[in-house]
Amino acid sequence: MDVTADDERLLIEAAQADPARFLDLYDRYVDRVYAYVSRRAGSRALAEDVTSDVFERALTHLPRFEWRGAPFTAWLFRIAANALADHWKREGRTSPDPPPDVPDEREYQDLERRVSLFQLVDRLPEVQRQVIQMRFVEERSIRDVAAALDRSEGAVKQLQLRAIENLRKGFGHHG
Amino acid sequence: MADQPLSDRLDGVIDALVARGDASSSLRDTELAPLARVAADLRHYPNREFTARLRAQFERRTTMTTDVAPEATARIREGFTTVTPYMWVPDRGLADFLIRVFDAVETNVMDNPGHGIHRELRIGNSMVMLGETGDQKSALSRPVALHIFVDDADATFARALAAGGTSLGEPADRPYGERSGFIRDPYGNQWYIATPLGPESLASHLRSVTPYLLAHDVRGYIEFLVRAFGAVEEVVVDHGGGAIPYARARIGDAAVEFGSADPMPGAYFLYVADPDAAYEQALAAGATSLAAPADRPSGRIAFVEDPVGNHWYIARPA
Repeated sequence: MDVTADDERLLIEAAQADPARFLDLYDRYVDRVYAYVSRRAGSRALAEDVTSDVFERALTHLPRFEWRGAPFTAWLFRIAANALADHWKREGRTSPDPPPDVPDEREYQDLERRVSLFQLVDRLPEVQRQVIQMRFVEERSIRDVAAALDRSEGAVKQLQLRAIENLRKGFGHHG
Repeated sequence: MADQPLSDRLDGVIDALVARGDASSSLRDTELAPLARVAADLRHYPNREFTARLRAQFERRTTMTTDVAPEATARIREGFTTVTPYMWVPDRGLADFLIRVFDAVETNVMDNPGHGIHRELRIGNSMVMLGETGDQKSALSRPVALHIFVDDADATFARALAAGGTSLGEPADRPYGERSGFIRDPYGNQWYIATPLGPESLASHLRSVTPYLLAHDVRGYIEFLVRAFGAVEEVVVDHGGGAIPYARARIGDAAVEFGSADPMPGAYFLYVADPDAAYEQALAAGATSLAAPADRPSGRIAFVEDPVGNHWYIARPA
């Protein structure tokens, strides 16, 4: 994790003084919030809605945020848990199998691992990143991806394999 | 299956993951299993078009708040927030009603010859303005809807009826964390008189008096206020089916609430640092000009009408 407590505190205080600095917080935390929400949401559309809602609420309530030494993510995750609960309440149901609101140590590690993975994907060679985006985000078939990239299906499967091997090598402890 | 090339086996796992969230077929394949674990995590990879779009939204909003949005008015006029309801009435009867029912305190009165009397009252920690035209048949009457927090909704409700108000709904515990009753005052304004029932009530986001703006298309109206006045959307409750039962946004340092209903076109003061820029921004967003910015005895003021008929007096005090 590259955010020290001091860095974090400075970023928060800067954003409290100047709303334009909220973007720094967004850049630091959007992947963490998304990873937390995605694990609970069950669909990409809901994960995006709730992530958007979390940052709306964070922007609104940031002036009242008081630094007490706890990680800023704990505050964001609490907002996210409330946003998810509100969503499920509006839908007239309870969460299908709600994980606890506040992640335990193991989930924190798991979330950090995912965030590192997301950042590794962003640094892949562009064509490999495109394959990951189309297969996992857009959920397109190999045939579709091959047509979009003007390559053979076999070549796209090779790109896909190479991308995932690169990601696995990118963090040693993953398998 | 292990006879197939690794790239084909991995592709089969990804198909199963995307379709069913299941990669269990890879568990016994020692070459495949570590790659399948990465693939399982990749299902949660955020769409970068989404994160970039959301970032751009916040960039527009936060820089707008810094540059053109109404300033926090504490620096402009003591006791006021960015938005103040302005009620046009023929006489001082409404001021008396507010004093009797809501313990309002009159803080300022100005006689503008030819325009009637301008009166300001404090209710709790909020301000309201009244324009008294002196003309019973005045076409200016523009009743508004206001959400007001008091110590005892039942007692205040009873006082409102005794002072000539009409009940629109007896006090009751509401599911949104308040006990409230609804009345219409003798001049047609609607008051949602509330006492918070717990720390989760809306009161934690609001001052004593909050304008309640009614529109058929609440989302569209909020979008207008975002573009026109740099409003920041806070909550939109949407049960589907088109109508929005409740929404809230912030304009400068003032909260405004919304509900789907026939509009009650009212009038509001909007304190800003630069009325000329705010006026231009409102027109660009689709407001209609009623009067270009001009220096008046009480400050530099422009008048616009928004798409649901509300009038906004965009002002910087003298």
